[in-house]
Amino acid sequence: MKEALATAKWLYLALLYLFALGPLGFIVAASFNPATSFPSGFEGLTLHWYRAILDHPEFMSAALTSALLALLAAVIATTVALLAAYAMRRGHAHENAALSTALTSPLLVPQIVMSLAMLEFAALIGLDTSLAGLVAIHAVYVMPFALRLILTGLARFDFALEDAAASLGAGRAATWRHVTLPLLRPSIVAGFTFCFILSFVNLPLSLFLTNARTATLPIVMFAYIESRIDPMIAAVAAIIVVAACATTVLLERVLHIRLVD
Amino acid sequence: MPDLELDRVTKRFGDSVAVAELTLAIEHGEFVCLLGPSGCGKTTTLRMIAGFESVDAGQIRLDGREISTTPAQKRDIGMVFQNYALFPHMTVAENIGFGLRMRRRSRAEIDEAVAAALALVRLEGLGERYPRQLSGGQQQRVALARALAIRPRLLLLDEPLSNLDAKLRDEMRDEIRRIQREVGITAIFVTHDQTEALALADRIAVMANGHLLQMADPVAIYEEPANAGVGSFIGQANILAGRIVACDGAWAEVEAEGGLTLRGRASGATQGQPVTTLLKQERVLLTRAHPGSDGNVFPCRIVGRTYLGSATSYQCRIAGTAIGAMVPNRAGVERFAIGDNAFASWATADCLVFPQ
Repeated sequence: MKEALATAKWLYLALLYLFALGPLGFIVAASFNPATSFPSGFEGLTLHWYRAILDHPEFMSAALTSALLALLAAVIATTVALLAAYAMRRGHAHENAALSTALTSPLLVPQIVMSLAMLEFAALIGLDTSLAGLVAIHAVYVMPFALRLILTGLARFDFALEDAAASLGAGRAATWRHVTLPLLRPSIVAGFTFCFILSFVNLPLSLFLTNARTATLPIVMFAYIESRIDPMIAAVAAIIVVAACATTVLLERVLHIRLVD
Repeated sequence: MPDLELDRVTKRFGDSVAVAELTLAIEHGEFVCLLGPSGCGKTTTLRMIAGFESVDAGQIRLDGREISTTPAQKRDIGMVFQNYALFPHMTVAENIGFGLRMRRRSRAEIDEAVAAALALVRLEGLGERYPRQLSGGQQQRVALARALAIRPRLLLLDEPLSNLDAKLRDEMRDEIRRIQREVGITAIFVTHDQTEALALADRIAVMANGHLLQMADPVAIYEEPANAGVGSFIGQANILAGRIVACDGAWAEVEAEGGLTLRGRASGATQGQPVTTLLKQERVLLTRAHPGSDGNVFPCRIVGRTYLGSATSYQCRIAGTAIGAMVPNRAGVERFAIGDNAFASWATADCLVFPQ
């Protein structure tokens, strides 16, 4: 009976993983398939499509743009989330409920609507740099994810440690530097990485805000697919998937070490 | 000049007064326990002294200098926290050296101070461990060493023994007192445990509802409580409400609710005054035969009995009044069963009468 339960649990998990990650397997497989149309039968193994990316400099520059955008958005979102989470842990329940709702509400609005709204808002305040608008809207959207993670980290944080640091002569800044930040680092790093990945792969938020110089990778991929479908796009996707997975695994390893501390 | 003076210190949280015009003075090298039930304001008082809570009114003076607006990190007051609050990401040595690092002392000076502090709390050789690798008692010692390493002007301890099991608690209690004497530092120890306070303190400050009820040495607190509040909080007492029917000088005769008439100590009592009579349970003697003395001797019936190992707690009824008696278990002492008849007696001096 116990064994049957364990097997059932294992099977359930396996199916869940297959459901969640299976499609990615097809994408990765297709990126090595020499067939020239995208979905098609498996015809062999080639690195041709990876080489082909190099002939499309717009992908390279878009990847750089996305990386810059994701970096800035993640920095802003993580900083705001950290400060908000800290204030919420020290604040009162009713204030926290209002703040939490306000900060999380962007998740309830269709992203394409947010993109349009940002376009209008940018025009209204005379913001003419496309990147600033992109960063702003990406930061607003990914912030709640960092907030969740950092709040979870703070739930385990003992504020008596800050009192202890103060009693030992550490001022506010020194206390943050030596006690609060090091102990929250795992959730801050996790929040930052999550924000970065979410921003990097996001398409709808950027739809109305990009121009020729600020085209993000998802935008360029979308434009490419609109004109033709060949496995090169699968190769690009495969690289993103592998990079995201590698980051996650690395992070888990790093976080694991830190969490034992 | 006293080391620490609280002068009408007041703290409010919203509408409620946590600490009300608290005034007390602590001498250099003295070990003072703030004792009271939870919510009595003792921890708030400690946190105001440490600088973690602001003072709404009054002054806190350390060595004659007003410090109530000085930030915590500039007060040079060491604190041991209830849950130790050791930095989990630092080794024992880093924890102990943290205060000196914040004071920008040299590496060599810090190392030396850390070694001395470890020796003081008898944890030599554990400097490279992390707090999670230590037992509760060891963590407690590290917390103490960390607080003392900065050579504070005052040591505060916030219920530091409440997370330890009973045996370790007694051991750490004596250890804290040894270390405090060795260092010669003035210390304030917050606790709700009267046994701890009686065993540790040079003087005990008993608090209730934000007020100081009495501050005196343990014997005086136990034997000569200043009021019914202190008397009922310390030890296990029979508390009987009544009114004075006769009095002469230091003695009064009280008619308690339930019809019992007993004699006790009272000063400045007047006829007819409503009073609270206090009688510690271990001062009540139970005998089968009449003890022969006059004064407070009453026939009673045993209605309840709880065996506690070192003593037996009896519930007795004297006419309409319930009295608890704590009788030590030793050879030759009379034992009673429920339903037995006996005589309950006590010395007049052990019965304290306080105006209501």
